[in-house]
Amino acid sequence: MHGGDDQHETAMEPGFDFISPRFEEPKFPMHQVWGYAASLVLTFAALWMTVNRIMSPSVLLGVVLAMAVAQGALQLGVFMHVRESRGPAWHLLPLGMAFAIGIGLVGMSAWIMLFKSGVS
Amino acid sequence: MPALPSFVPYLIHTLFPPWVRRPTEIGAEVMMVAGGAFIVYWLLKYKKLQWLWNEWLTTVDHKKIGIMYLVAAIIMLARGGLDALMLRTNLALPTAHFIGASEYNEVFTTHGTIMVFFMGMPLIFALFNVVVPLQIGSRDVAFPRLNAISFWLFAFAAALFNLSFVVGGSPNAGWTAYPPLTELAFNHTVGENYYFISLLMTGIGTTITGINFLVTILRMRAPGMTLMKMPLFTWATLNTSALILFAFPPFTIALLESLLDRLAATSFFTLSHGGMPMMYVNLFWLFGHPEVYILVLPAFGVFSEVVATFSRKKLFGYPSMVLSMTAIMVLAYGTWVHHFFTMGAGPAVNVFFGLSTMLIAIPTGVKVFNWILTMWGGRVQFTTPMLYFLAMIPTFVIGGATGVMLGAVPADYQFHNSYFVIAHFHEVLIGGTVFGLLAGVYYWWPKMFGYKLNDRQGKWAFWLFAGGFWPTFIPQYWLGLEGMTRRMYTYPLGMGWHTLNVISTIGGFIMGAGFLVLAANVLYSRRHQEKDLTGDAWDGRTLEWSIPSPAPEYNFAVIPTVDERDWWWQEKERRRQGEKPVVVKPEEIRPIAIPKNTPVPILLGAAFFMGAFGLVFSWWDIALAGLVAVFSILIYSWFQYDHYRILSAGEVRESEELLGRLGA
Amino acid sequence: MSSRALDDKAQKLQLAELPPEFQDQEESIKITGFWLFIVTDVLIFASLFATYAVFVNRIASGPTPAQVFQLNTALIETLILLTSSFTIGIAIWAMRQNRQRMVLAWLALTAALGMAFVSIELVEFAGDVAVGWGWHTSAFLSSFFLLVAAHGTHVTMGIIWAVALLFQLRKRGLTTVTRRKLYTFSLYWHFLDIMWVFIFTVVYLGGRLI
Repeated sequence: MHGGDDQHETAMEPGFDFISPRFEEPKFPMHQVWGYAASLVLTFAALWMTVNRIMSPSVLLGVVLAMAVAQGALQLGVFMHVRESRGPAWHLLPLGMAFAIGIGLVGMSAWIMLFKSGVS
Repeated sequence: MPALPSFVPYLIHTLFPPWVRRPTEIGAEVMMVAGGAFIVYWLLKYKKLQWLWNEWLTTVDHKKIGIMYLVAAIIMLARGGLDALMLRTNLALPTAHFIGASEYNEVFTTHGTIMVFFMGMPLIFALFNVVVPLQIGSRDVAFPRLNAISFWLFAFAAALFNLSFVVGGSPNAGWTAYPPLTELAFNHTVGENYYFISLLMTGIGTTITGINFLVTILRMRAPGMTLMKMPLFTWATLNTSALILFAFPPFTIALLESLLDRLAATSFFTLSHGGMPMMYVNLFWLFGHPEVYILVLPAFGVFSEVVATFSRKKLFGYPSMVLSMTAIMVLAYGTWVHHFFTMGAGPAVNVFFGLSTMLIAIPTGVKVFNWILTMWGGRVQFTTPMLYFLAMIPTFVIGGATGVMLGAVPADYQFHNSYFVIAHFHEVLIGGTVFGLLAGVYYWWPKMFGYKLNDRQGKWAFWLFAGGFWPTFIPQYWLGLEGMTRRMYTYPLGMGWHTLNVISTIGGFIMGAGFLVLAANVLYSRRHQEKDLTGDAWDGRTLEWSIPSPAPEYNFAVIPTVDERDWWWQEKERRRQGEKPVVVKPEEIRPIAIPKNTPVPILLGAAFFMGAFGLVFSWWDIALAGLVAVFSILIYSWFQYDHYRILSAGEVRESEELLGRLGA
Repeated sequence: MSSRALDDKAQKLQLAELPPEFQDQEESIKITGFWLFIVTDVLIFASLFATYAVFVNRIASGPTPAQVFQLNTALIETLILLTSSFTIGIAIWAMRQNRQRMVLAWLALTAALGMAFVSIELVEFAGDVAVGWGWHTSAFLSSFFLLVAAHGTHVTMGIIWAVALLFQLRKRGLTTVTRRKLYTFSLYWHFLDIMWVFIFTVVYLGGRLI
């Protein structure tokens, strides 16, 4: 955009094929419609399961959390076009690490701070 | 006599309460006012105001921003060092009262906070800014404007934090600021507000810097430079930026929740209403432990460059260096509980974190062996940066070994909060980070300013600083084992701590002398050192030495294709064999876009400062005005489009001609 | 002709097939930068969730989660936000079809849905505070309000951003720069939607389960 003629590319990285970019732009936003429908289904299913308590609470919490993760993946894949990039999609690496560390942060904090392993 | 408006006594009482009217504070105040007046006088007398504004305050050039970080870091080093000497003086003799107990609390708090956040971090960013774009063959960082915004947020936050000493009162709960000591119920002064707000502010800037350099390195490398061809300092920057990205958010939340406890009556870390002070400690060290590696990885990067350059050999075991650094980056997130083993979270938790702590020593050990093996068989030149490297090895190894001792959970219950811990972390932070960053400053000084720092004086400063270091901190291991706890402001006669404390204080003053020689070295070299016209002062190996010193504003007239490690060294090798002359071909020069100067960053910093100052004193109208100002500036800036000016090919050719870089 | 030059040609051809916001190197770098901002925000919310998870049972003398939360309101909020996520998705699709009026309409609708969401949230908060369940009452309420209000503040920022974006799009049309700005805005908005799904699951559904 800035008019300088120095727009060289960073080449694809050897060994990093899994972050090569992908694009799509169809004539009708079919993906988006399906994605929206799926997110609604997931939301209502989680709500129904919780209100009716169809299994023990701790298992159910795990199930609805898994459904939330599925919804997150849906948003990332369908709406956020997470594989789009120019050159390698570098942001996939920190993003993956952020989810790993984020889950670890919550889980480990609960493990440590709720003193579930017995006070020494 | 007309009556004063009622807000005047209120202001005096709020801004200058009794505890900032002690001799030290008044002395500091006089120094600040006199220093400020002198600077204004100098600027007006030599008509430098315009120059200052155009060349520095509004710049977005990464090299200049780096130099501003460097200047700020050195000033903060002086302040933090002065704090340290006050602490050591008070501890030299039993029952001494050089400064009182409450003042001692303030001074150790500001010492720690300044050294970590306002000296260590900016010094790291100084090197990032000066070196990384040049090392990867880029014209600037990814977001030059954001880079300047980061700097100004840091600078105004540092100003705010230092202001606390003379206006309203300093924070006094230690650099870790544990509740409940920081809670309003136990701490009525505005000091802790200063702490939380200024660190939130500089934290925003730091996070932006992390993003900026990660994107720069991932997206703006010279053609051909794949990840495994990057210089190791760039690798260190990459890993440090990633650490910043993941470590600062928990810290932000910890600070925010503490601040809300104080200003908005929430119940996070209170003792009543179900609050839980230890949750702060958990969040703080989720940040705090990675922060240790944020501080030390750049130093590892510097040492990797320094040892290869001055051994005149390629670095031993490059892939293992990269791998160990990345392993440290990942493992850094899994060790934070070792800072509070004594909370007693349970055997499983403590064993897990004890093991992970010991695990992280392995990649660090790999690095030390690789550096030593790089020197093996090389023609080692004992320049000042190399001396700092050599001094680091024993210091860091001992500091690391005592770290492993601290990682052993049962032993930690003994060492915890004693001088043993103080000795350990000063040994790794000074021996690792400060030695490393000073080596980096000496090493890249010619790239920043176009001349080397005087090596003879540099060695004097080194011997005083590194020589003073050992007597300062080694005795503290024994003091800790003999039961001296950290943060005690004095101790009675007959504890047997007397001799070791005297030695430690003397060592501290020797280090102080080392700093003075370093400052003198800087001032002397400015006038007396000869210009380096080659741009390659040390016969270096990486890309930054292939361009003139100091680098022109566009860095590279033509960006080279870099298809090997140590590209510049290999290029010089080829040149020696007469293969291919390294000159810029005029016909290859094309127009270059340069980011324009802008007042937005400094104004944004000032607006933040205003809002923050209002928050410190709970003056909501001023805080709100600051917030409005921040948003107005952001939106104004968002609607601006014209961020670049074009340097025509002719202008670049002219400039390169003047620098003597053009080939036929 | 070196292999590098051949690579260049191949790359130029590939570039022409990219959507406009990626064709420009500088704009595409900004998109990478924005992804990294989202990374930091993920961790911000993770820290807030960690606080909430540790504090959820520390209710002192205040209400329990089941007493505070109304699933109906939360469900309405969720539906609004999911719909707004869909509308901004359509706006991006329309942008790629170069249909500017459509982009403006869907973006305006997104902002309006955002405002509805924030309004409902504010009413809910006001109701809690009115019966004396403010964030001073217990550590649980402090962590709940901070988590949900942090999300609400993000949405509010998003609304301001969307309105400013509407002005800019009207003034400048779909250029490389405005496309990139809309694209990053959509990333931000979808990300907030993901965070809300987690808040809905952990806070509101979880409140029923513990």
